[in-house]
Amino acid sequence: MQSFHYPHLPSEYATVHVALYTNVTNSAEIRGRIVRAAQLEGPDGETEREAVNFAFLDARLICSPLHLQTAVYQAILAQVQGSIRTKTVHSEILWALNPTNNITEAIRRYGVADTTTALIVVRICSPELNDVEKRMSAVVSGTLSSLDALVDITDWASVKKYCKLNGEPALKAVAKDPAKERLLVEEIVTSSVAMKSVMA
Amino acid sequence: MTGQTKSPSLKLLDTAEKVSQGAEAKIYRVQLHPTPVCSSSAAAESGEVAEKVLLKYRFRKQYRHPSLDASLTKSRVAGEARALIRCLRSGVNVPGIRMVDAPEGILGIEWIDGKSVRFLLGGGAEGEEEIVEDATDEPEEGDLPPEEDQLQEYGISQDALMGMIGTEIAKMHQADIIHGDLTTSNMMLRHPSSRKGLQLVLIDFGLAYTSTLVEDKAVDLYVLERAFSSTHPQSEPLFAGVLKAYETRMGKDWAAISRRLDDVRLRGRKRSMVG
Ligand SMILES: Nc1ncnc2c1ncn2[C@@H]1O[C@H](COP(=O)(O)OP(=O)(O)O)[C@@H](O)[C@H]1O
Ligand SMILES: [Mg+2]
Repeated sequence: MQSFHYPHLPSEYATVHVALYTNVTNSAEIRGRIVRAAQLEGPDGETEREAVNFAFLDARLICSPLHLQTAVYQAILAQVQGSIRTKTVHSEILWALNPTNNITEAIRRYGVADTTTALIVVRICSPELNDVEKRMSAVVSGTLSSLDALVDITDWASVKKYCKLNGEPALKAVAKDPAKERLLVEEIVTSSVAMKSVMA
Repeated sequence: MTGQTKSPSLKLLDTAEKVSQGAEAKIYRVQLHPTPVCSSSAAAESGEVAEKVLLKYRFRKQYRHPSLDASLTKSRVAGEARALIRCLRSGVNVPGIRMVDAPEGILGIEWIDGKSVRFLLGGGAEGEEEIVEDATDEPEEGDLPPEEDQLQEYGISQDALMGMIGTEIAKMHQADIIHGDLTTSNMMLRHPSSRKGLQLVLIDFGLAYTSTLVEDKAVDLYVLERAFSSTHPQSEPLFAGVLKAYETRMGKDWAAISRRLDDVRLRGRKRSMVG
């Protein structure tokens, strides 16, 4: 797990914890818990919601740590400015990642599916919360991996498809050079996330 | 102290290094995302060096009505960001976008490691620009080595640089993007040692717009021609090199733009004789 501290953000959103899990075996269970937590009432509901109070992302659609950080940062800014479109700062990350304004689609594409085997888990919280990795590992059954492992996980074809990059002049120009193409896709995708709030 | 606390983005500016100040915006440099702390249970993360970001802050203009100012600022930030993403998708070299806080008037873009074309052509730093110089950078801009030496570090000739400029502008015009403020200060050469390698990068899309009109493209070129002649001695062969590469890239679209450029020059000359 990596932790980032942003001193200029309000304390309750100043720390971002990010972990990559590979070989995840309980995605269906996680998805079920998220759905149920939203419906449960009373103190049990509170407890369960806190237990799954993370953003769960399909790691295959993340190009790089910067891509992820950009979405997280824009989600926090929206939260602080009172302009979030979804229920929580964590679901706002999914919204920030998806090129369209369709929230259901964002969750379906970028969230955890029953078949997900590589999962990025994000928690935005105050610096005081200090057992985050333990809380993550209590939910996810998988191998905690370095974010560097992303390079072998990113599914570039899906990234290009969702961001409608196929046929763009920029990509045609580097079609013969996969390394250059990835750099370019990463740049366009990251930039799109950063400016989504002023896109339309 | 009032009860109001500063917004996150303004607090971020407080920690940033001021680079320059124009009439519309202040420019800062900062590391947006902090260096991560890694927990012990995961394998050690190598992690790349966190990149620097340039923050362009369109500060409040006292001479404008506050609500007009707010909406103008917001639409300028949005406009610049949209022009950049359009360029990126069209394969035009521009800085990537890193952060947008439109209500505060702040646009965060990728920091380009390199020098402005103006500087590389020996035009020096723009008076109001370059308040601070990157300490990790090569020799200070204060004691200028001869122009050729400045380019040597980038491994290209002046002619090659002119060609890169013409090609990049042509790519932009083919995507029907008009820059609106083409000068040698608004283009940079990315250092060959950076991740993306040597590149001519167009910057400052604050006045950019989209248009298919030959007239708009011709005026864009004319503005650059004037900028060359007012900042750089012996600019004619330089600008000819820009146009040559532009022509090659534009192909069949060049003829109409070339004719219109002649018209625009003529109008410009008449205007300067009158005024
Ligand atoms: N992405 C960047 N990376 C590094 N330096 C930059 C970048 N963008 C701008 N600069 C520097 O800052 C100056 C001012 O930025 P610019 O966007 O042109 O704003 P202005 O509207 O004030 O001219 C530029 O002339 C250039 O020297
Ligand atoms: Mg400028």
